[in-house]
Amino acid sequence: MAGKVAVVSWAQTEYREAHDATIREMVFRVAREALDRAGLTREELGTVITASSDYWQGISCSNEYYLDAAGGYLKSGAKAEEDGALAFMYAFMRVASGHFDTALVVAVTKGSEIPPLATLTHLYSEPFFQRPVGIDDVNAAAMQARLYMERYGATPEQFARVVVKNLGNARRNPLAFRKATLTVEEVLRSPVVADPLREPDLAPGADGACAVLLAGEETAKRLTDRPVWVRGVGWSVSSYYLGDRDLLDGSLPDAARRAYRMAGIANPRAEIRVAEVCEAYSFQELLWCEQLGFCGPGEGPRLLEEGVTGPQGELPVNPSGGVLAGNPYCARGLVRIAEAAAQVAGRAGEHQVEGVRTALAHSYHGLAGQLHSVVILGR
Amino acid sequence: MARKVAVVGTGQTRHGKRQDVSYPEMIREAVVAALEDAGLGWEHIDAVVCGSMPPPMEGTNAPHLWWADAMGACGKPLLRVATCGTTGISIAHAAYYHVASGLFDVVLAVGAEKQYEGESQGTMTTVGEPFFQRQFVAGAPGVFAYQCNEYAHRYNLDEERVRAAAAEIAVRNHVDALDNPFAHLRQRITVEDVLRSRVLAYPIRLLDCCPASDGACAVIFAAGEVATRITRTPAWVAGVGYAGEEHWVGDSDKVWWQSARQAALQAYRMAGITDPLEQLDVAELYNPFSFQELIFYELFGFCGPGEGCRLVEEGVVRRGGKLPCDPSGGVLCTNPIGATGLIRVAEAAMQVTGKAGAHQVEGARTALAHAIGGTQQINGVMILTSLD
Amino acid sequence: MEPRILKDTIALPYQWALGPVNTRFFQEFKERRIFGTRCPKCGRVLVPARAFCARCFVPLDEWVQVRDEGTIKTWTYVAYSYIGQPMQPPYVSALIQLDGADTAIPHLVAGFDLRDLDEVRARIKIGTRVRAVWREETEGTILDIKYFEPV
Repeated sequence: MAGKVAVVSWAQTEYREAHDATIREMVFRVAREALDRAGLTREELGTVITASSDYWQGISCSNEYYLDAAGGYLKSGAKAEEDGALAFMYAFMRVASGHFDTALVVAVTKGSEIPPLATLTHLYSEPFFQRPVGIDDVNAAAMQARLYMERYGATPEQFARVVVKNLGNARRNPLAFRKATLTVEEVLRSPVVADPLREPDLAPGADGACAVLLAGEETAKRLTDRPVWVRGVGWSVSSYYLGDRDLLDGSLPDAARRAYRMAGIANPRAEIRVAEVCEAYSFQELLWCEQLGFCGPGEGPRLLEEGVTGPQGELPVNPSGGVLAGNPYCARGLVRIAEAAAQVAGRAGEHQVEGVRTALAHSYHGLAGQLHSVVILGR
Repeated sequence: MARKVAVVGTGQTRHGKRQDVSYPEMIREAVVAALEDAGLGWEHIDAVVCGSMPPPMEGTNAPHLWWADAMGACGKPLLRVATCGTTGISIAHAAYYHVASGLFDVVLAVGAEKQYEGESQGTMTTVGEPFFQRQFVAGAPGVFAYQCNEYAHRYNLDEERVRAAAAEIAVRNHVDALDNPFAHLRQRITVEDVLRSRVLAYPIRLLDCCPASDGACAVIFAAGEVATRITRTPAWVAGVGYAGEEHWVGDSDKVWWQSARQAALQAYRMAGITDPLEQLDVAELYNPFSFQELIFYELFGFCGPGEGCRLVEEGVVRRGGKLPCDPSGGVLCTNPIGATGLIRVAEAAMQVTGKAGAHQVEGARTALAHAIGGTQQINGVMILTSLD
Repeated sequence: MEPRILKDTIALPYQWALGPVNTRFFQEFKERRIFGTRCPKCGRVLVPARAFCARCFVPLDEWVQVRDEGTIKTWTYVAYSYIGQPMQPPYVSALIQLDGADTAIPHLVAGFDLRDLDEVRARIKIGTRVRAVWREETEGTILDIKYFEPV
């Protein structure tokens, strides 16, 4: 059985349209801050796992560019591609194995320096079948949304409510990029990007870096009086081709099941107090809530309408504003974990949810959510 | 107490120019071979780790998503690791930690590259950041030529002697590859051929240099008690080591290359190796450029600093010698980069389990696998043994 | 059946922020001044100037000017070509440690006939002293130095 592992500190940059600083400088900042907050020196640090992606950086073997900025000089380290939450999983395994006492996880992307998300995710499509017909992240999500409306009667108004909730939540997150007080009507009047998705339904690309420090049980207790235990992890991938999949029932239930089993969670709706999920498109928050088992299929909109997932509800979702408040691509999954950890530790400031014992962080990447991950954190 | 982990099966494609298959098909070839070698079905795999070089190499972003089905990963945890040239060994390390963590019992590691589908050197040039280094690093031969050229000068060695030793290594690798059915380049060459071949990036000449290959490799790792149920010949992971250096190519000494040294020392410490020449029976080193291997002999403690040439001249590091290096023909004859580091692990496992066929080193029980990467920045090592 | 191949070219635009440290470095560079930063813990002068020392892991703010003359630490003669290569072969790429710096920077060595490798080897060795040859009009990029020539 895996050894006990805790999140002992974390650090984030502000999420902005464009940071002046380079990736190296941003990574150094969050790495230094995470270490300082835990009172750990770079010498003492065991290992460094980072997340970034070459197309998303324009500098290939992307982590070679900033590994030393993440504290990796002459240390064992690696890079998990594409998703900071997966870097977290890998770091967790390194510490759980007993080979390393501490692991620093760092994820970074500068959306301002790279081609648009649609261009880069168009390249997710292989060149023979999906790429020539223009399949990218946006239109895959749009087709998924269309299917969601068709199967369960979900409406664009319900999608807009997610936008209103999350951008409203973001007003209580000093680091968030996009924050606003919007109405459903304003969202529905916005330009269509890929029907049924409108501009505000899409998360805006942002620059940002995030670092999370993990430690084994003994060390965690030494470094902080509020260790946030990693109680469960799970990740899972579904088939590649969109046409091979049920876009509304992918690998998230499997990822969640693995995490819940490890955490001993039988009733997620009752046992999880707050969730940070990766809603790169507004409607996905509703779908992911269902796939996480917070409610039955098609019941996501009801959960929102009844206020369950609102900031004052029984199970607030994305009190930070979520990805709709800023999408630093490869870092977004790690940001969810940092935010969830902050909730458990009582350090989420203005957007702190009351009485958090157990929090969930979710991430995904791949068209219409091909590879999902779930982390359960608790006291 | 750390969990024991072993390699229970390996598989490789026929490496070379594989324009007969698509990327996923090529990968599947290796995966099927590994499952067959282990006597397992894909349902026995608990998790999958994969990797390759920068996606711009072949022009599809996040390629692990495309490969998922071919690797039998659907409905399972999948992780992609990418660490430049060390990717192959990073994949092996990741699989090792998957099992060592206690989370998984049987993990599939897959590395692949399809260099014929893209512009390798052009892509590798983009590893250099654009402000200070990209204009000058000249692809892989260019950046690694720096240390190759510096070596002779550092130890006051006659340049011709160093060139001759490097050429001997190149010849040895090419001849050995003839006994490896998976190898890309399989041609008999002489020292004269090497010395006369055209200069790519001085002192590296064409025959001192690896090919650009297509290929995939799959290795299955399993937890101790599970491994012994799967196979009578598990190859135990005895040592693991890895280290990275600064981003700036001119910051650190690359002749007394710290990341390589530290990676080896970490692995040796874990494996209880104090006398590598005695305790290792075979080494699969990552030498895309013949000269580099001289440096690795010294960094890994096979000999003292500056003595690499002597090791070659005395026949120590050839088949039949005290510590045969790269009996598979090595990276110099086969380099599908994302797979290459994992191929070193597979070859090491094959050697210590008696499965290396025509290039088997008699009585091999402990083997070292190694990989390098970046713009001279990173090194990884894994030591496998059949000794319990 | 003959295996088929599908061809395409992917060209993508990028725009990398220099960041405050590189911006300042290149402002000076434009004036033909080269700066490093000194680490207060290890004392090394790191060129080009940077925001932090990777080994001591502290931020750096002491800017130190170094000379535009230095020593070749290692070099190579690049004689092969590939798509996407920034320079036209043959050329000499070298790591040059400028006087006052503790690290070396990559750049070109030229200013003499590069066509014959043996002649190049006679002129260029590890340890050869070289001096920057600057452009007439500088722009604030690393190629404001055209190349380094042997002194």
